[in-house]
Amino acid sequence: MAARPPRVIVTKIGFDGHDRGSRVISATLRDAGMEVIYTPPWQEIATVVKLATEEDADVIGISSLATDHLIIPQLMDALRNAGLSDVQVIVGGIVPAKDEARLLEAGVARVFHPGAALDDVVTDVIALTAKRRQLQGESA
Amino acid sequence: MDTALIFKALEGDRRAIGRAISALEDGGASAYAIRQATAARQGRAHVIGVTGPPGGGKSTLVSAMIRGLRERGMTVAVVAVDPSSPFTGGAVLGDRIRMGERQSDDGVFIRSLASRGHLGGLATAAADVIDLFDAAGFDVVIVETVGAGQSEVEITRFADTRIVVCPPGLGDDVQAIKAGILEIADVFVVTKADLPDSRKTASDLRAMLALRKDQCHLPPVLQVVATSGDGVDKLVEVLLQRPERGKRHAVDGAQEAYRQLSGFIAQDNVANLLGFELVAAAKGTATLRMKVQRKHINFNGKCHGGILFSFGDMALGLACNSHGKLATLVDGQMSISTAVDEGDWLIAHASEVSRSRKIGSYQVRIFRASDNAHIALIHGTVYVLDRPPVGANDE
Repeated sequence: MAARPPRVIVTKIGFDGHDRGSRVISATLRDAGMEVIYTPPWQEIATVVKLATEEDADVIGISSLATDHLIIPQLMDALRNAGLSDVQVIVGGIVPAKDEARLLEAGVARVFHPGAALDDVVTDVIALTAKRRQLQGESA
Repeated sequence: MDTALIFKALEGDRRAIGRAISALEDGGASAYAIRQATAARQGRAHVIGVTGPPGGGKSTLVSAMIRGLRERGMTVAVVAVDPSSPFTGGAVLGDRIRMGERQSDDGVFIRSLASRGHLGGLATAAADVIDLFDAAGFDVVIVETVGAGQSEVEITRFADTRIVVCPPGLGDDVQAIKAGILEIADVFVVTKADLPDSRKTASDLRAMLALRKDQCHLPPVLQVVATSGDGVDKLVEVLLQRPERGKRHAVDGAQEAYRQLSGFIAQDNVANLLGFELVAAAKGTATLRMKVQRKHINFNGKCHGGILFSFGDMALGLACNSHGKLATLVDGQMSISTAVDEGDWLIAHASEVSRSRKIGSYQVRIFRASDNAHIALIHGTVYVLDRPPVGANDE
């Protein structure tokens, strides 16, 4: 039985519409052999929770270029309330250093800044998928 | 994936359904247990397949169909299949974004599947996922295939109703008489019907149908503008009138037998003590499962033979009591082929060899769920009494 590929949601919440970055990440993860559920920008938090539930996502990648990262703690709360605290969340884009600690405190696994190497993103998503599946196995 | 979670999925728990689908994609022991659990409950949903060329408007049409079905109070599950890369195995599953407007509705469950190298337009697990949605109680299951060429017709085997999407302008009238995908349609939908070529596409299809031998059962040709909703009501009405609706491979009496035998095993002290669980049943058959735990292990470090016999006997007891008459074991033999370790999942499948008014002959096969290894075989003879099983009186 071959290992199931990582399932990753790549999405944007809030009002920012700059989605070039999320497309680049989607293509990169696809080329690394992952199954990417890509959405256009402007998703609601409730929609992302529903998506993660139905798609049994291992990792959610949030792209944020225009202060949308400030609503990510709300997403983390919504995921916890839906029983999805095992799902790993990463954030990529423009996140000021003073906000990064807040995101990590809210449960975000990793924040990627401009200039991050795509290979590092891939390596991290693979590691986080393994972590999520271990958490899931423990709760099963 | 444990049995409790499987049953939560069957009760409609969304997170459990999401995880059960992943387990079905993985294959292996969990997938087997889920298939067994759904077997007795499926056959209710109307399964609608939507196929057609890439970019033909399948996802947008599915979105419009979901809206029409929800307006009529029906719950809808969608299986959206997208291709995996033949080089890396990766995939971008983007179809559900075009079904976006329904994403906050709990009456709709959408799951994207990557084809993972499977040819034919579906994914390997698609049939199992359809059965799971059906067993979980969705009224309609819509299956959207990968963008299909001329011969990706696998959907024929799984759908009650097959919609072939024909966007305008893809070819001349010779395309319409070719063999393959156009032959499987129960309904043709000409999408993007606001484009100039759409009337010609519809008339080419009708001309093709006029050449068919069987002129009594011609599929309708509908023109739809899915983005504006034009023509969608007509399509939904056609779908709701399909005569095959809900008649998909339901096993006679299976649901009744399952309900009854669940009651029996719930009252069985030995089954509770040793951890036997019913996963499927029909008249004359029962399938149980158990996880081998420390308490089942003998001094030799393997599963105790008496536990195996108890396990098989429980399955046999349920199978022979599934006809509404009390039956009791009078003779049984077991042969054991393979030793069993702690942690293994075992399946016992009891089936009826023969049965007369007084005597029944039954066989139980015990095997390991993870690799189907044969563990033990039991043959038993039962004596049938002329009164109902005792447990049945309590209901």
